[in-house]
Amino acid sequence: MIRRTAVVLLLVALVCGLAAAPSRAQGPSGLVVQVATEPPGLDLTASPASAIAAVVHYNIQECLVKVDQSGKMVPWLAERWHTADNRNYTFFLKRGVRFHSGRELKAADVKYVFERAANPETNHPQRARYENIGSIIVKDDYTLTLTLRELDASFLLTLARQGSVIYPREGAASMKSEPLGTGPFRLGEWVRGDRIVLVRNPDYHVKGLPKLDKVTYRFIPDPNAALAALKAGDVDAAMFGIGPEAVPELQKDARFTVVIGQTTNDVILAMNNGKKPFSDVRVRRAITYALDKKEIVKGAMFGYGTILGSNVDPLNPYYVDVSGMMPHDPAKARKLLAEAGYPGGFEAVLKVAPQYYYTVRTGEVIVSQLAKVGVKVKIEQIEWSQWLSRVWREADYDLTIIGHAEPWDINNYANPKYYFRYDSARFQELFKKSEVTIDDKPRRELYVQMQKMLVEDAPAVWLYVHPRIAVTKKGVTGLWKDLPIPAFDLTEVGWAK
Amino acid sequence: MRGYILRRVAACVATLLFVSVLVFLVVRVLPGDPALVILGPESSREAADRLREAMGLNRPLVVQYAEWLGGAARGDLGRSIQYDVPVGRLIVSRLPVTLPLTALAAAFMLLGAVPLGVFAATRHRRAGDYAAMIFSQLGISIPQFWSGLLLILLFSVHLGWVSAGGFDGWAAGLWPGIRALLLPAVALGFFQTAVLVRATRSAVLDVLREDYVRTARAKGVAEPCVVGKHTLRNAMIPIVTVAGIQLGQLIAGSIILESVFALPGLGRLALGAITARDLPVVQGVSLFVASTIVVINFVVDVAYGFLDPRIRYD
Repeated sequence: MIRRTAVVLLLVALVCGLAAAPSRAQGPSGLVVQVATEPPGLDLTASPASAIAAVVHYNIQECLVKVDQSGKMVPWLAERWHTADNRNYTFFLKRGVRFHSGRELKAADVKYVFERAANPETNHPQRARYENIGSIIVKDDYTLTLTLRELDASFLLTLARQGSVIYPREGAASMKSEPLGTGPFRLGEWVRGDRIVLVRNPDYHVKGLPKLDKVTYRFIPDPNAALAALKAGDVDAAMFGIGPEAVPELQKDARFTVVIGQTTNDVILAMNNGKKPFSDVRVRRAITYALDKKEIVKGAMFGYGTILGSNVDPLNPYYVDVSGMMPHDPAKARKLLAEAGYPGGFEAVLKVAPQYYYTVRTGEVIVSQLAKVGVKVKIEQIEWSQWLSRVWREADYDLTIIGHAEPWDINNYANPKYYFRYDSARFQELFKKSEVTIDDKPRRELYVQMQKMLVEDAPAVWLYVHPRIAVTKKGVTGLWKDLPIPAFDLTEVGWAK
Repeated sequence: MRGYILRRVAACVATLLFVSVLVFLVVRVLPGDPALVILGPESSREAADRLREAMGLNRPLVVQYAEWLGGAARGDLGRSIQYDVPVGRLIVSRLPVTLPLTALAAAFMLLGAVPLGVFAATRHRRAGDYAAMIFSQLGISIPQFWSGLLLILLFSVHLGWVSAGGFDGWAAGLWPGIRALLLPAVALGFFQTAVLVRATRSAVLDVLREDYVRTARAKGVAEPCVVGKHTLRNAMIPIVTVAGIQLGQLIAGSIILESVFALPGLGRLALGAITARDLPVVQGVSLFVASTIVVINFVVDVAYGFLDPRIRYD
């Protein structure tokens, strides 16, 4: 009897102890954010991983120029710039900007950063972008001139990208674990495997910002576990981990705000243009006609995602809607296949990396649609590192699905060695011209031509823009709706009073 | 007994050496280029080549292996590529999560499975036996990640008793630490309990059919004594064998559950390192886990000797 009573008491104590669990999410001065992937280090100049940018870019480290939430390029660490010939750019740095170490940002720091980026020894992941900087002349502590070897219409955008963050020379060696910058937050602690905590930078150069005192990133890789953490109140915001299938349910829940916006992440079905049968433009067009993109977005993305016609997304100012130029038409697809010598269709392998959930789902819908025109596709799931080696580097594939997240990435089609193996002298010429055409009107015209040409040549099928899906607790304000650049800026995020 | 233990120690050292070769080679033949994973798609071939050189991956395999093994023998497992800290320190920092988690799950397993298995055996083909077998069948059939999610849904989302995951460390106190590990430990231990229940039941059933058990009963020995003293000890060899294997599997199972419960343990460290091709970490963790399993097996082997005196003189 005594033993039984003891067991009952123990169980009661256990239940009471469990019930007393405090909520882990934070109050009005802090924010707990769920992210799916832990960053592989925090050095933006050593790795292009988007998981690093999600934490560091615009939050810990900033650039001379910033892309704001409307996609406009605005002065940031440089308060203005001047160019007379689009080759010599003089930047005037904002005064009184301090690194997290307390030292003031000077023009010599900017010189060091770009010289280091262009130096082959430092292995900057986007080194090619900085090789065009011929010389950097520091005029005084707050003025410097960058001279380009060739005209580059994307130069200012390059300066706003994650690889162009400004950091102090003395912090370069330790950026992997302790990145120093000028951002609204500085690194508080990084508990490897569990969380990264950012704390408010009291000396931030924009008065009144940031609004939060503390941001905690928690790494929850499983989407269902992320949803559960959100519902249990353990996290205040899920920025990257919630799939479209959870949206309708969360929209009905009064505790949450669901932000759905645009991104620059174009999800495409890439075809190996260098390999039969996809080297034949008729086959590529047939594949395009065979696909019903509306059904793909409905089936794989629960209706979230803007249908694309070409490689320029709606956030780009030169976007034109060409999605109707090659509409879903299975009969035409069959005819084109017959003309190309494949009246009964053919077999192909679709390689996808399940690390990106949408690739497998999209692939499954595509397989069923292509089967209707006789193209029998087998899905092969491979790990991301294998995808990089086999598909991206060696072009050892027939078909693949992937999201191209970079903005302004039409340049990939002008590179015949890129994994698409699309080799069009005319397109390359158009792109080259667009890069040295600085005036807006003629440049826009070139971009329209390029978009239309891509539809005609069909080197890939542009499926949809992956939507931005962020879910926060009610009361969280200041979150960017659209992401014109893959950065997750928390500078103006706060709680409604 | 001393000779027996010495022979087992020698076997352990040989196994560990073999494991180290295996771990090293498996990590090296994994498809995918670590330099490419780190530098990403915009990097040039030259940059990837330089990084591979800097990481020492272009040297002959034998040289790389000898260097790694030499370091490991001195306790230096190298430096993590993604975290830029020594691998040994990383492993040690994850142990306060994984060890208590595994220990809790093992406790659930042993405390749940052995009594339930004995209970089922002593009620052979009666309601209690069938109930235990249904429980066991359920446990074997439900995948761990799913039972983990169901537990989160019930105890975190609906009842709000525990957080849905994460671990704030032991600095917050013993009870908050245990509370964070309870659900994952139950989910982790559930499957193993289900397997061990079956092993216990069949081992006990076998012994219960022995003549000496019948003799004990005929002599009028009380049933608890018959089962506890005469039966269980003689049934322990297969139970300990299965439990030892299960312990190893608990460590493997923690890889999935640490992801579901967002726990910063060894399993998640390994998973992240494989994805990021952080070779020193993958090698270090694999060697550590393999060594742990070798040690568990050693303990099981020694336990045989204590449980069955005949084994000591083999």
